[in-house]
Amino acid sequence: MNKKMNIIIGSLIIWSIAPLAWQLYTSFSSPEALVEPFSQIKNRWTLENYIQVLTADPPFWKYLLNSTIVGLTTTFITLLFAIPAAYSLSKLKPIIAKSARLILFGAALFPYVLLFLALLEFARYLNIGNNLIALSIPYSALSMPLAVLLLSSAFKDIPKDLEEAARLEGLGIFQRLRWILIPLIAPATSSTAILIFLFSWNEYPIALTWISKNDLLTLPVAIARIAGSSVYSIPYGAYAAATVLGAMPLLLIVLLFQKQIVSGLTQGAIKG
Amino acid sequence: MILLLLLPATVLIALIFGIPLIRYAWISTHAFSVITGLELVPNQGANWLRLINDQRFWQDTFQTVRFASLSVSIELLLAICIALILDQKWRGRGITRAISLLPWALPTTIMALGWRWIFNTPFGPIDQIFNIVGIESINILSNPNITWIATVIADVWKTTPFIALILLAGLQSIPNDLYEAFRLEGGKPIQAFFKITLPLLRPYILLAVLFRLAQAFGVFDLIQVMTGGGPASSTESLALYAYLNAMRFLDFGYSATLMLGSFFLLVIACILSWIIISRFQYQLNEEKT
Repeated sequence: MNKKMNIIIGSLIIWSIAPLAWQLYTSFSSPEALVEPFSQIKNRWTLENYIQVLTADPPFWKYLLNSTIVGLTTTFITLLFAIPAAYSLSKLKPIIAKSARLILFGAALFPYVLLFLALLEFARYLNIGNNLIALSIPYSALSMPLAVLLLSSAFKDIPKDLEEAARLEGLGIFQRLRWILIPLIAPATSSTAILIFLFSWNEYPIALTWISKNDLLTLPVAIARIAGSSVYSIPYGAYAAATVLGAMPLLLIVLLFQKQIVSGLTQGAIKG
Repeated sequence: MILLLLLPATVLIALIFGIPLIRYAWISTHAFSVITGLELVPNQGANWLRLINDQRFWQDTFQTVRFASLSVSIELLLAICIALILDQKWRGRGITRAISLLPWALPTTIMALGWRWIFNTPFGPIDQIFNIVGIESINILSNPNITWIATVIADVWKTTPFIALILLAGLQSIPNDLYEAFRLEGGKPIQAFFKITLPLLRPYILLAVLFRLAQAFGVFDLIQVMTGGGPASSTESLALYAYLNAMRFLDFGYSATLMLGSFFLLVIACILSWIIISRFQYQLNEEKT
């Protein structure tokens, strides 16, 4: 029994890691090694791919920076709007709250790629394409439904007496939020924040249509562009190096915030 | 006062979700492309007529449904197994969970290109292994009959962890006493799975399936980067077709029609799967009594 389980767990780990490991291996392979992955050849290893990616114009870290900027602004705006909304949702009459939750749930499910055309018109109309901060407006809206759902269930879990006591002490609604309630939902807030950050870091179709300037591209679009540069010969070595560099921050996030991510996803499941 | 706090978020959601749909409904009844000089010209439902007669639209619908149903069913089966394993207590569980989360956390475009390289013929590892084992190479990414399976594999790899986590939450919400009682009454573990685990897991399965179905139905990143919809548009999804209409053929009127059309199809698909899963639950209950 135990042995069987070890095999299953082992294959799960290999299945998750193997494609990534292959990228890692490719990123250190010289062009000759790329076409003969399993044979013995000289000059197999090289750092050339990394040098190429890091000295390109614009250098690769610029895309990482762009994605980080969008990610942080999106997370900030979303929480700024979602926390009050979630609080208010947790105070509404059950019937209204329930239907509001249903609408939010539907919006969270919605495959937002279908919105890209209207959002593109929106960007053109207001002339806010090619602007990383503006990009976080649709991102915030798209992550809002999930954020409000997660946070409002956290607010609901707070014992009523606690807030009642604060109210009798003469604290206004904003004071109560600021000093009592927001500190209490901090765990839920942090897992929501990480999910929002991951979403905006990985978002592709809207970034693809909103951003056209080379030095403003976010990471997913920049990486897809390497492929788009020519249909027949993708510079796979350089590309793999870009993948590895692009995956590093996420690897770090997943390892550091594993607990928050899991609790965010599972809270969503339990309360949804 | 309390409603006022709800206002900013509501406005933002309405702006980004609501207005586009209304705008699509409006555009879809107009000719709106480079040919009309980017002016909206009413065309009495010609877009919708074209949609119904558009073979490529129906082919893409078929492909999208095929992709979504196969990948979601494989993901669900694998995820149930993984969740059952992760639910046990063993050393190294945390790190395994973190590792299996990694595919889900990475941007789709990154691994879409990675898979393209892995499935490359003749230089990718799959083809090389085929060579060594002695299987004839099958040109995975240029055979219209096979390529879509490769996209399913890439999708399964990426999103199974997500479903597994949702199901894991479900498993952990089932009280242990139930299993204990069942065991004392002489039930076998496998029976416990069908009579306790599966019925109680149903809401979580429903949630995961609905969520994934909607996402798989709108699949775009993976297909656009991994295959570009090819070969011979055999892997083209509805979202990609709508994208091509807008960005390559510059026919915004028809693109909006396609997106609304896909949206309606998705709603139907969600309702259907809801009914199927609820029916399933009903049968399980029948068996029990």
